[in-house]
Amino acid sequence: MRSRALVPWLWLLPAGCLLVPFFVLPLAVTFRNSFWRDDDSGVAVPAFTFANYARVLGDPYYLQVFGNTLWIALLIAALALAIAFPFAWLLARLTGRAQALVFWVVYLPLYVSVVMRAFGWIVILADSGVVNQALLAMGLIRQPIRILFEVEGMVIGMLHRYLPLMIVPLVTALRKLDPSLLRASANLGAGHWYTWRRVVVPAALPGIVAGTQLVFSGVLSDYVTPSLMGASGYQLVAPAIYYEAATNSAWALAGAMATLTLALVSLLLVVANALLRRFAPWAATL
Amino acid sequence: MKPQFGVAERFHAAAVLLFLVAPILVAMIVAFSSGNRLDFPPPGLSLRWFGVALGNELFIDGLLVSLVLAAASAVLATIAGTGAALAINHHRFRGRSLVQAAVMLPIAMPTIVLGLGLLFTLSIYDMQPGLLPTILGHAVLGLPYVVAMVTAALASYDTSLERASLNLGAGPARTFLRVTLPLIGNGVVAGGVSAFMISLDNISLSLFISKGDTLPLRLMQQLQSYADPSVAAIATVVVGLSAAGFLLSLAWGARRRRLVEPAPPGAAAGRPPAESKEATA
Repeated sequence: MRSRALVPWLWLLPAGCLLVPFFVLPLAVTFRNSFWRDDDSGVAVPAFTFANYARVLGDPYYLQVFGNTLWIALLIAALALAIAFPFAWLLARLTGRAQALVFWVVYLPLYVSVVMRAFGWIVILADSGVVNQALLAMGLIRQPIRILFEVEGMVIGMLHRYLPLMIVPLVTALRKLDPSLLRASANLGAGHWYTWRRVVVPAALPGIVAGTQLVFSGVLSDYVTPSLMGASGYQLVAPAIYYEAATNSAWALAGAMATLTLALVSLLLVVANALLRRFAPWAATL
Repeated sequence: MKPQFGVAERFHAAAVLLFLVAPILVAMIVAFSSGNRLDFPPPGLSLRWFGVALGNELFIDGLLVSLVLAAASAVLATIAGTGAALAINHHRFRGRSLVQAAVMLPIAMPTIVLGLGLLFTLSIYDMQPGLLPTILGHAVLGLPYVVAMVTAALASYDTSLERASLNLGAGPARTFLRVTLPLIGNGVVAGGVSAFMISLDNISLSLFISKGDTLPLRLMQQLQSYADPSVAAIATVVVGLSAAGFLLSLAWGARRRRLVEPAPPGAAAGRPPAESKEATA
């Protein structure tokens, strides 16, 4: 009986060998190093100081970076939710071939290199790109409007990158909704909006939460889209972490920024699940 | 009751689909451009940028590195993830829910943070940035997707088959290879394919722990310094390769389904990565 109790742990051994040294420990070391001190020679030396945090939380530049990132993450999550919800509702009610085809298109971006997707947007949004050509030809504008290398262009690129991550969990949640509930609601005299508010949205809640979490952690660690499509004056946290580490050799400072990023994502996870358990206990995942 | 779709609803859906497809289609068309610049529509069609891309050593080296990296990390992720999924779904043990949360955590954690942390940690293992740490790092990212898809495959799996096999005298290893693995094969393949694709497209992690020689990093550098259609051309080649791989995995899945009836409903081969939320939600 004692040896039987070991069986699950044997199955877990490969995952443990991967996760402990290459996931758990790196996060722990990042946390530890965030209290170290950056030497002038470009190495982090052991210490215990809150100086890095004081600098990140006290310097307007770094605050701006975190503020920008949170704002963009919120914006992308809200836009993605607003766009994805009606779409997911339609997709969840489609059947057979039509559903398979639409699903295929939703997954398509996930199978295409993110650099190629950015390339496509560059062609579309550039000053001499598709959008500007069309607007100029229609006489709506006299000068090309600058979209690429501005916040707007970056938001479009990110929305494209993260929209499928909102659509898929939403569809998954909505497909579990029993259609007879909708009939019941209508039969009991509920109007269209009332049914939406009391039946459809509650059923979608787990998907909304999962999608928002995916979008948030995506935006927070997105290096590519801001680098290829963003404005140089509008820094986000992922490129900023890389810059501090690789270019400035401010390793401990980068560690503090990374720890704060991690804290933000964890906070979102915890808060979202606490809210779910309070207001929608049927949807709580943690 | 047949679902009814309003005009506004259809229009919205069409717009979303167009938005999702547009940049990919545009990039592919520009890859076949005969012009020098990123003009759209292109002045004419030609294969010249494919010639330029395939003649670019940086791209070809990067492609080889990325393929080796994706294959190796997918194998590691598949082994570790399948084991973890079996442990979580077939056994009841103390700390099971904690383990379950832990193996799914790499999806929720920002990759850029893990990249920095791995770089910090490499010196502890006496490693330098390069292929090996990148393989291990990417395997961590692929692991939750394998767990999710094997878990989905296990949802329709009947453990009594396993017990029957053991009772009939097959050893645990034989039972695993001849009973368990064929039954969850679709989920294992789907998980492996997802892990492969995740690795093939990763930048945030490779940025820190590779030598900067993976294809996505090289393409990004090229696009930042000088954007010409060769970037789109090599990316189109990769899309072609993954499409071929995807079709192969579909064919393999179809063969499996014929061999093992009835088909596990949640385990169609080639289920794309984001579907994993189904198992976690």
